[in-house]
Amino acid sequence: MHRVTLSIPSDPAFERVVRASAAELGETFGFDPERIEDLKLAVSEAVNNAIDHGSKRQSHLPVEVSFQVNGDHLEVRVTDHGGGVERIDWSRRVVEEDNLDAGMLRGFGMYLISSLVDHCEVSSTAEGTVMTLRIFRKPAE
Amino acid sequence: MAQHTIRREEQGDLAILRISMPSVDAISAAAIEQMCSDMRPITALDFAQVNFINSAGISALLKFVVAARKSGYKLFAINVSPHHQKIFKMVEMSRFMPIVDESDLAAYREPARV
Repeated sequence: MHRVTLSIPSDPAFERVVRASAAELGETFGFDPERIEDLKLAVSEAVNNAIDHGSKRQSHLPVEVSFQVNGDHLEVRVTDHGGGVERIDWSRRVVEEDNLDAGMLRGFGMYLISSLVDHCEVSSTAEGTVMTLRIFRKPAE
Repeated sequence: MAQHTIRREEQGDLAILRISMPSVDAISAAAIEQMCSDMRPITALDFAQVNFINSAGISALLKFVVAARKSGYKLFAINVSPHHQKIFKMVEMSRFMPIVDESDLAAYREPARV
């Protein structure tokens, strides 16, 4: 079992660091190119969620990301130390006329995560939130 | 920064905005959004150099969709990678910014003056 751990400030500029690490790990772990792209995007969304909604972009609060190779899958855990979140909306989110007209142009992140990984779960308390993603080398049938 | 990250080609009513930044994300969103105030009746975003788009990037691209809708303009995407075609399909972006071949835009270019 191998684990890689990163700690970044809650600043959007550092999401790219985590994303680059995810890409390298995916390649090292033998993911095919499309699965690496899925991994990069899912990790990006999880980290941005932690920065924006968990830590509220308070850069002094760290976001920790751990990558753990467990046999045939990679487990990614994203932890923030913000005030917790009430709920995560995983439901399908698509571009719609009404939302465009109302200026509601955001909110696709969690739906993308749930569609791209094989398993995702969230645990949140007043001390922070942990999002755990599991990605198998090949998508689950 | 926008001038170096997005190259604009214009011919008559057609404008092609060639995005040269590799990531369309929260960091590059501002530069992308700057360009949507100057659209043409036919505008195409070129993703040939883009190798990453996340939801923050999608939100920035939707500013183009909103601007096009308000003006009654057409908006297209060209040179979209298979992965990003998948993502656009997932969020139904392609309904509002159809993916076409660049050759399909020839019909909107002005004919050469003889």
